[in-house]
Amino acid sequence: MTLSHPIRFDDLTVNFDDRFQLNHINWQIEPQQHWVITGTNGAGKSALAAVLTGAGDIVSGTLDGIAPSAGITPRVGLVSFEAQAVLIETERKKDDADIMDVISEGTPVYEILFEDCQDIALAKELADKFDLTKLLDRSFRKLSTGESRKVMLIRALASKPDLLVLDEPFDGLDTHSLAMLQAHLQTLIKTVPMVMVLNRFDEFPEFITHIAYIDQGQLQLQVQRDDATAFDELYKLLHLKTTDLTVPAPDPDTQTPALNPGEPLVRLTDLTIKYDDKKIIDRLNWTVEPNQHWQLSGPNGSGKTGLLSIINGDHPQCYVNDIFVFGFKRGSGESIWQIKQFIGYVSTALQWEYKGTTGLRNVILSGFHDSNGLYTRCTDRQKTIANEWLALLGMSDRGDEIFSKLSYGDQRLLLIARAMVKHPPLLILDEPCLGLDDMNRQMVLALIEKICAGSGISVIYVNHHPEDKIKGIENYISLG
Amino acid sequence: MSNNYFNTLPLREQLEQLAKCRFMDISEFPDGVEALKGKKIVVIGCGAQGLAQGMNLRDSGCDVSYTLRQAAIDEKRQSWKSATENGFTVGTYEELIPTADVVLNLTPDKQHTAVVNAIMPLMKQGACLSYSHGFNIVEEGMKIRDDLTVIMVAPKCPGSEVRNEYVRGFGVPTLIAVHEDNDPKGEGLALAKAYAVGTGGHKAGVLMSSFIAEVKSDLMGEQTILCGMLQTGSLLCFDKMIEEGIDAGYASKLIQYGWETITEALKYGGVTNMLDRLSNPAKIKCFDLAEELKQIMRPLYNKHQDDIINGTFSRVMMEDWANDDVNLLGWRAETAETAFEKTPAGDVEISEQEYFDNGILMVAMVKAGVELAFETMTAAGIIADSAYYESLHETPLIANTIARKKLYEMNATISDTAEYGCYLYNHACLPLLADFMKDIKTDVIGKGLKLDDLGVDNARLIEVNAELRAHPVEAIGTVLRGHMADMKKIV
Ligand SMILES: NC(=O)c1ccc[n+]([C@@H]2O[C@H](COP(=O)([O-])OP(=O)(O)OC[C@H]3O[C@@H](n4cnc5c(N)ncnc54)[C@H](OP(=O)(O)O)[C@@H]3O)[C@@H](O)[C@H]2O)c1
Repeated sequence: MTLSHPIRFDDLTVNFDDRFQLNHINWQIEPQQHWVITGTNGAGKSALAAVLTGAGDIVSGTLDGIAPSAGITPRVGLVSFEAQAVLIETERKKDDADIMDVISEGTPVYEILFEDCQDIALAKELADKFDLTKLLDRSFRKLSTGESRKVMLIRALASKPDLLVLDEPFDGLDTHSLAMLQAHLQTLIKTVPMVMVLNRFDEFPEFITHIAYIDQGQLQLQVQRDDATAFDELYKLLHLKTTDLTVPAPDPDTQTPALNPGEPLVRLTDLTIKYDDKKIIDRLNWTVEPNQHWQLSGPNGSGKTGLLSIINGDHPQCYVNDIFVFGFKRGSGESIWQIKQFIGYVSTALQWEYKGTTGLRNVILSGFHDSNGLYTRCTDRQKTIANEWLALLGMSDRGDEIFSKLSYGDQRLLLIARAMVKHPPLLILDEPCLGLDDMNRQMVLALIEKICAGSGISVIYVNHHPEDKIKGIENYISLG
Repeated sequence: MSNNYFNTLPLREQLEQLAKCRFMDISEFPDGVEALKGKKIVVIGCGAQGLAQGMNLRDSGCDVSYTLRQAAIDEKRQSWKSATENGFTVGTYEELIPTADVVLNLTPDKQHTAVVNAIMPLMKQGACLSYSHGFNIVEEGMKIRDDLTVIMVAPKCPGSEVRNEYVRGFGVPTLIAVHEDNDPKGEGLALAKAYAVGTGGHKAGVLMSSFIAEVKSDLMGEQTILCGMLQTGSLLCFDKMIEEGIDAGYASKLIQYGWETITEALKYGGVTNMLDRLSNPAKIKCFDLAEELKQIMRPLYNKHQDDIINGTFSRVMMEDWANDDVNLLGWRAETAETAFEKTPAGDVEISEQEYFDNGILMVAMVKAGVELAFETMTAAGIIADSAYYESLHETPLIANTIARKKLYEMNATISDTAEYGCYLYNHACLPLLADFMKDIKTDVIGKGLKLDDLGVDNARLIEVNAELRAHPVEAIGTVLRGHMADMKKIV
């Protein structure tokens, strides 16, 4: 029997012992589809897979298609570390619970394999292929992790499943077994829909038709395998989220002058910005201390961008206000380049203005000089650093491509790298997700989180979308 | 009455001044704006150049304020608004000029005599007076007090570019000069260099030149290839296309945006690259047309250069100034009434390549104009670097203004001097090209060659390519563009 109806998640919220919660999942698995669920560690991939096997407590919403209906309960074959752990734990408990003098040998493998088995012949065949035959009499708990994983696999495959849920099924398998498993799965694609949890894109089997991306307990993105652009972007996103790459080091030869740690980075006293006679900002006082992260919000026209460009030195009214930035009182003979060296700046306006003909590597390098376009020679070390940033963005082989030819989201990522390349004491992100689609928003937020978590950089983050939160921001200022 | 300064010099000195021009390397500016630190800069006028230069200087750490004529302050004119809204101190001549160490005269050239006469008595002993164009000194023979230092810092771009490029972290090519009659303390060069750094010019290339070379080359470039040729070319090409039955909207668009598109290729790779954008048969056709044009127009270019060198041009123009600009205003109105100006660009799609393919004559006009202007200037003793900036380099910048709002925008953006010279050129050039235009058909303007067979004679193509590349404007262009390309293409 195969699945005849789709499995439908309708605004489903599932709680797992208050440890974790999946929120508002909307998802549909059609009989002929094969999904991969992907995401970072702790994002909720395994939880989502486990919901398909009945795990968790439904808080709200509905789940159709796998509960018993019309007297038939769809059979779900499950392989996962969790399930494996549970089985092993149960076996161990049997031991502990043994109050008799006889030392328990534990449940033998054949019992685990063939008890409740729907297709003994297949189980035998697979056990043979997986080289388990000689271990059938052994106690299950004496098996190695890899061996017990194979047992789990055989149990799932030989259960005549209506749906296979395979959470990282390839982990810990030797090449021979891996090839064997993949070949076997291939024979099932016409009859059994599969949902796999996989992290590595290169492990995605050919027959996968859809990818679900989950983050922080929410199903953020659903991508069709044959949508090449979306697939590629998802790859980059995952790359950003999962690789252990740290933010490339600064360039020791172009360190910004040391700041007095006792002084604030920015101190605005009674800041007033006005156009004609209309005051956009009226006597604002604001101090940004080293290592503070700020979120700045306010409706359109409340002066957010004006405020930032006062700090950045781009706003002419910085000369008629009492502004202290990075040790300078503005208008005391400093140049804007002396100010800008301490700031990394990203905004939509910058993206629009950025010189289109610049190559990607040069866009990053221009961050060393705070220029829009590159006009100064760079050292080999700086080029190496720029290449490391390209690698971090998953764009290693694209350094010579032209900025304007890039997708909007990629441009944004690149400008963030440009802002960060010099490790400024202050990073200003003016609506960094503005105009980005879901996927690109995720990518940008992933990159920013990576940066925030890193070094002693203060971030001023402007946005008015609560869902675009960044971990670690603890100060809020609101205009208008 | 004014006294042409150039004409008072002995020939030996005239030639020496005309030939003054040296490209300065960025390494020659290690002191940055140091020479201006602690000095009070007062800008007279807050127009295109005044606002842009003042903002750049302030952002480079200089102390900048503005002085405007009384009426501009009282009436809160645009110049007053620009200065105050941008947070500058604005004051009258009496209030600010006496406090100034450096005075930047950025009023229109026509006003220079009156402005300088008004402020000179107020200037501090030993202060510096700066210009962005040398017309007043060279053509009007303005005598500046002996104790004052007189310098010139002339960005080779419109004010908007001066500001935009600075904000990007770059700058625009800039010409600097010291008026040798007025350099009592020998600090003119140091001040001019610091000023060029303050506006960002040093990053894009500075030409160390003379007041005379700047004026005589600037006038020549602007009235011939830059504005004159584009105006005459626009009118002729448009009328021809209409005569040949091409849709007026299409014709209007092809010209309005065509100059910008084809000169973009010029900007990146000179005349050679502009012609390389054509198919081989079109290139040969274009080359031949340009040769013919050059032959017809050469006497006109010579006349313009001669009139500029011997002062006829400025004398005649100044007569019009004295006559309430009757000619200038009349010609401006005349331009507004031309068919090209009055026909809006049609809502048709024209691809980038199509501007080349269907605008062979326009390409030929740009080639002929650039080469003639360059040849005439260098023949008059102006150094190639200077001649390059005043011809080829600026052509795309002027073409951009036509793309924005046709000839009206071009003439509004350029100085009155350029506008006046442009009309002179146009009036002489239109009849000069009348016969030539009779033989022109839509294959070179409007429709393109439309050939099935793009074959050409090898020997002829080799000859054309070689001649294109051998022109002296290409040699100096490669060097000067190289300075900028180097910076851009670092890897
Ligand atoms: N535009 C260019 O592309 C360019 C390039 C290089 C060099 N330059 C040179 O830069 C200088 C300034 O040119 P521009 O194009 O910037 O001029 P502009 O835009 O016309 O500005 C002239 C300014 O001077 C003021 N002004 C006019 N007549 C005046 C008078 N009689 N007394 C005092 N102030 C007066 C005007 O303000 P009010 O009328 O409100 O008083 C205005 O603010 C010229 O020497 C020009 O040759 C220009």
